[in-house]
Amino acid sequence: MSRIEDALRKALRREEPPEGFAERVMARIQSRDREAAGVREAIGPWGGLLAAFREPHLRWAAVCAAAALLVGGLEYRSQRLERAEGERASRQVMLALRITGSKLRLAQDHVRRIDYAPVERKERL
Amino acid sequence: MRIAIVFLAATLSGAWAQDTKMPVPLEKLALDKLAEKAVESVDVTLDGNLLQLAGKFLSEKDADQAKAKKLIAGLKSIMVRSFTFAKDGEYNLGDYPDLRDHVQLPAGWSHIVGVTSKRGGDNVDVYLKTGDGSQIGGLVVIAAEPKELTIVHITGTIRPEDLADLGGQFGIPKLDVPRKNSEQKKGKE
Repeated sequence: MSRIEDALRKALRREEPPEGFAERVMARIQSRDREAAGVREAIGPWGGLLAAFREPHLRWAAVCAAAALLVGGLEYRSQRLERAEGERASRQVMLALRITGSKLRLAQDHVRRIDYAPVERKERL
Repeated sequence: MRIAIVFLAATLSGAWAQDTKMPVPLEKLALDKLAEKAVESVDVTLDGNLLQLAGKFLSEKDADQAKAKKLIAGLKSIMVRSFTFAKDGEYNLGDYPDLRDHVQLPAGWSHIVGVTSKRGGDNVDVYLKTGDGSQIGGLVVIAAEPKELTIVHITGTIRPEDLADLGGQFGIPKLDVPRKNSEQKKGKE
């Protein structure tokens, strides 16, 4: 029992750190901070954002969002084009029907004039 | 089988071409030259797809647009060329009889109105294509006035009452086209 106690006491005894241990630890911490700052400066703010996409699930989410934006944008553009084309076509339809109507009216006026002319002459007589 | 499909396609496209074929020889009119001389020119060409699309954008609330929407529902194409000139005689109105002589009417077309002025007035010709039953299958109007030349070619189904609307709506007075008996009865009631 005393042998075990002796072994434990020997293992857990207080030991002084070697010379300059605290200085070396502090120096290493400072050097790591400097390295991290250097990397942050090199990649800039966007680099930091991009670094976030190293995560696979974030990367896939970004790809899906970009695809949805692209599809939505194309759909919106196509709808706008269709709307513009439809509105132009409807204006052309109205113009074409107005012209057609006016020319049919012109033909009708001439036919009426021919139809009513003998009647008017008879009435005068 | 393939030969049958090709033959059927060729027959159908031939029938469509015949249906939409312009009976007026536009190439003889030298329209590009007329457009250069004209102070105002209108060139409207709408095929079936564009007419369908236009129908979606015609409002039911506006009376004219609602009529137009109903009218174009059965149409296959609309072609309108119209030229307005600043002065009389800027285009050769004297060529009009020649143009009319060149009108090649495919089967089913009838010349229903022909107005010729020998004193340099208006010349108007209206051609109709008979369609199914009492319906009209197409309409061609050629109007040559001293300062204006207009050619209209409409293909597709036009009901006689739509033709009356065409003359009566769109800001101009109504054409006297007799309505169907059933509609006349409704009107009396």
